[in-house]
Amino acid sequence: MPTTYKLISKVTVSSATSSITFSSIPSTYTDLLVKVSPRFSSASANKTLVMRFNSDASTSNYKNKRLQSYGTGVSSSVEEGYNGGYISEVNAGSNTANTFSNVEIYIPNYAGSNNKFFSVDSAMENNATTAYAQLLINLWSNTAAITSITLVEQSSDNFVQYSTARLYGIKNS
Amino acid sequence: MAITSIKTGSSFTNLKKYNDFLAGNTAFDPSNYVSISTVTVGSGGSSSVTFSSIPSTYTHLQIRGITRVTYGSASVTGWGTTQFNSDTAANYSYHAMYGNSGSTTGATATASTSAMLGFAEIGGTSVTNCFAVSVMDILDYTNTNKYKTLRILGGAEGNITDSWLYLGSGSWRSTNAITSITLTNGSGTFTQYSSFALYGIK
Repeated sequence: MPTTYKLISKVTVSSATSSITFSSIPSTYTDLLVKVSPRFSSASANKTLVMRFNSDASTSNYKNKRLQSYGTGVSSSVEEGYNGGYISEVNAGSNTANTFSNVEIYIPNYAGSNNKFFSVDSAMENNATTAYAQLLINLWSNTAAITSITLVEQSSDNFVQYSTARLYGIKNS
Repeated sequence: MAITSIKTGSSFTNLKKYNDFLAGNTAFDPSNYVSISTVTVGSGGSSSVTFSSIPSTYTHLQIRGITRVTYGSASVTGWGTTQFNSDTAANYSYHAMYGNSGSTTGATATASTSAMLGFAEIGGTSVTNCFAVSVMDILDYTNTNKYKTLRILGGAEGNITDSWLYLGSGSWRSTNAITSITLTNGSGTFTQYSSFALYGIK
């Protein structure tokens, strides 16, 4: 039986760090799935998680559409001009302690020669009215195979200890 | 009985020689997405479903479910509830954004409450054989340094005016490892063939 859902790499933050990188991603899968449980350190209500493919930090190569709720309000928007692809709002120091966001990023056909699309489902919980639920569709305007993925905070904040990220490879056969 | 010799002409001659124990087979490489348990509601219905004694050997959990509830009139009834480790105290919060009936969008936010949101539901006599669909993800469910956060995408469509789609989240303010998950209906009871499948992800 083929292995269609396989852990490629995992990162558990042991001390505050500004980035999480998966490098040398093999091209042997069909799709990639990233599950992230992040929290940032600054004393803010939330911080912005950004993802870069192949170290591309361009502010113009990533496009998206976002649908989100914040508290009891719902809105849609475009979140572009970041130094990578916008992923989601994430828990930070002013939120309920010990609470980490729940983020999933799905990247189909990552090794193909077309532009790369990816979707995001994310939840930033908080024991208060203010919390985010977000759905995004993203485009990376680049035809190169994805060989590395880097997660950062938009303004260079640090991931706190116990933040985790796991990269899975999914095969279609 | 021990084999002490193989003679010419026996069925053991002219065999292909391999240099490893795989003998030409592909090495078994287990998936990191593993079925733990599946519960399908029987003919008597059920007001809740519990996964108990969840092993701690995975990193994440995912529950995929189809749900239908008893309800007096044809309706999509929203969502049920979720609790961890039988904790019924006000240790939860939940949030969600939703679309309803194709035209209305909204969001809900609840703090310090006794349960999180759960699986999508549909019911009623005129929407026979229709089941709502949901997928719930719980990350780092054994991590004792974290409160536990779930994310759920659910929806119900019954070929009636009422329909329902949502992305929700819930937090359990406990650092305990999750060992049981209780899913409770929001209206009526879960009907026969409602089904919940728990997976472990390494």
